[in-house]
Amino acid sequence: MRGGSRISSTFWGLAGIAIFLASWELATRLGAIDPTIFPGPAAAIRSAVQRLPASVFLDNMAWSLFRVIGGFVLGAVAGTVIGFAAGWYRGFGYLARPLIELLRPIPPLAWIPLAIIWFGLGEPSKFFMVFLGAFFPIVTSAYHGITHIDSSLIRASRSFGLKGLGMLFHVGIPASAPDLATGLRIGWGLSFGVLVAAELIAADRGLGFMIMNERNSGGSVSVIIVGILLIGLLNLVTDAALAALIQRWIGRWHGA
Amino acid sequence: MSKAEAGPVGAPLPTITSPMIDIRNARKSFDVRGGGKTLVLDDISLSIAPNQFVSVVGRSGCGKTTLLNIIAGLDAASSGEVLIAGRRIVGPGQGQGVVFQQHALFPWLTAQENVAFGARSLPLTKSEKTKRACELLELVGLEASAGKYPREMSGGMQQRVAIARALALDPDILLMDEPFGALDELTRIEMQQELLRIWEARRKTVVFITHSISEALTLSDRVVLLAPHPGRIARDIVIDLPRPRLRTDQGFNALYEQIWSGLSS
Amino acid sequence: MREQLTQALVALLLIAAILLGVEFGVREGYLKAYEFPPASRIVQGFVELTTVGFPTGVTLWTHILVTVVRIAKGYVAAIAIAVPLGLLIGALPVLDKMTAPLVVFFRSVATLSLLPLAIVWFGAGELTKVILIGYGCFWVMLSNVIAGVKYVDPALIRAARSFKVHGWTLYREVVLPAALPRMFAGARVALGVGFMVIVGAEMIGTIQGLGALIMEARSFYRSEITVIGMLVIGVLGFLISSGLAALERLLLPWGGGLGETSR
Repeated sequence: MRGGSRISSTFWGLAGIAIFLASWELATRLGAIDPTIFPGPAAAIRSAVQRLPASVFLDNMAWSLFRVIGGFVLGAVAGTVIGFAAGWYRGFGYLARPLIELLRPIPPLAWIPLAIIWFGLGEPSKFFMVFLGAFFPIVTSAYHGITHIDSSLIRASRSFGLKGLGMLFHVGIPASAPDLATGLRIGWGLSFGVLVAAELIAADRGLGFMIMNERNSGGSVSVIIVGILLIGLLNLVTDAALAALIQRWIGRWHGA
Repeated sequence: MSKAEAGPVGAPLPTITSPMIDIRNARKSFDVRGGGKTLVLDDISLSIAPNQFVSVVGRSGCGKTTLLNIIAGLDAASSGEVLIAGRRIVGPGQGQGVVFQQHALFPWLTAQENVAFGARSLPLTKSEKTKRACELLELVGLEASAGKYPREMSGGMQQRVAIARALALDPDILLMDEPFGALDELTRIEMQQELLRIWEARRKTVVFITHSISEALTLSDRVVLLAPHPGRIARDIVIDLPRPRLRTDQGFNALYEQIWSGLSS
Repeated sequence: MREQLTQALVALLLIAAILLGVEFGVREGYLKAYEFPPASRIVQGFVELTTVGFPTGVTLWTHILVTVVRIAKGYVAAIAIAVPLGLLIGALPVLDKMTAPLVVFFRSVATLSLLPLAIVWFGAGELTKVILIGYGCFWVMLSNVIAGVKYVDPALIRAARSFKVHGWTLYREVVLPAALPRMFAGARVALGVGFMVIVGAEMIGTIQGLGALIMEARSFYRSEITVIGMLVIGVLGFLISSGLAALERLLLPWGGGLGETSR
């Protein structure tokens, strides 16, 4: 992107956001929307903070983050190891692939009741849900990466005496890194969405719980709105952070 | 001035007492989907002396790459004998260094790391390997690009790294599969000169595959023509012109014609 | 071919082994039937679901229908708005730049997090669920339509211009067809999103629909019905995406598919 057009994008982007916020505020002021059920941006934040101290927001956010990160790491490790193994060792692939293909079409949220049956209502079931959200995209991309390595790289490494596990670690895994990275990003996005939903439906802490609770206890709409916005913001920020990490990891040598 | 001898089909040319590469009646078939086999190489007999630069020329699909893979130990002949320095080839690691057409450099390693990778199966310490990598990069004129990644280099640079990597093994034999095929014409000509310069500095036995007749004539001591379907040796021609060779050299065109007619028949 | 047969064989054996294992485990008391419903119970449950229904009176087919209708309503509404809007935005760079950050932001809001808000505004009935599905599908579809129009191969445009094709004709005959594959990809992903959303949305405040089914079953300790429900959901999802893929091949015979590249 040329320099000029990037400045123009930023400018117009900010303009768009400004117009959006302004029309929101205006609509509530003019009474086009009832401010009690749809407060303007400024009012929402004020009223939200009045109702619940910032510390409550932060506390719930921390719990949500803890669950997402924990579940994601579990899912990522499992997905990576199983995906690579299934792609590298044909026998293992015969066993793993049908199970994965069978379970994959089931949306993670559909596992909630089973998760509760197996793990109860506590933390483990939340971790399990997030794990599921992350696992499938990651195992797929790991498998795809390791089974689509440029054959000339394999031949080259053979000509230099590499074989078996050595080849897997020195050639197979680095070559699969770009595919895996894509899977990790997708997995993170899904994990986040799954967690919020799981917290809405069955939890006693976390951002999802917080906003549902407000509704159930007839509380402030502002808290709900601010909560939702926080979730969206958190998602964006963490995704950007993940993208930056990935760029550092493979950015220098990857990208044709 | 120029003496070109064409031996009769199939027979090796002047008998070499202790060849570096000795192929006797090698055949190679591949299984075909739906059953049956296809014969890719038929009764190949070839003897290559140490430090000889031999080009293998032929149309696409004549089995040149298969032959190279067999010498490299990446594939096995279906029948016949293939020996390096008198010993049967059982795999890579018998002194074969390979340069592929698609450079096949590891994209996640820098130029220096790629070259050092070539030496990984050798019993050297890490610093010895690094030192060797640096020396070889200097040899191919890329010491300034040691820290670059393949995607940051041009096609010619990538192939030079690939050559350096193959040399890191300190191989007795350098096998090159149309290494300059993907380069543009000008770079290609440059690389041919580079290769000759490197070869003067580090003499090795070279088996060089190409489909370009002029490239074969510019580079080699000997040109082996492979006819396709199935692959077999059609001609084996010694090139006795002094290097460096130009198209305008006397005898160049005669040889060109000879090879051309050999390929077209 | 041989590989596929081996794979199929191993898969069958594996599934049989698992089913038998669970059956055996439950009978011998190693596994709790509640946690690992054995095949025998699952079959019984399936029969019950399809005849008597669970909860009584609501058969499996009703549940499926209810869920599918909800998805359809939300999805169609979303597509109907997203396509024209996306085409417009994609065609006007200024509009695109203005809306880009908003689109990205709204897309990142986890759709289900809107559930409490939607309940406050629209009550706990059908409308809420349809709107939620619509929301999720809308933003995904919108991004993809915009991208489809924006990223038409410039070489195609230049070629068309060299034949003196401009303006509206250019848009209609070159840009639109070139954008179709991406739009289809977006439609597929959007449907997937809609599917995920409904399953979650049905777990609160309703007893009809597949999501409701599996949740209700759990609270009545009928875990085998939960498992059946999950499998039906999986099959349904699979059929829907295969169906769309087939439709795409039919309508875009020139082979547009970009696969799952959209985000």
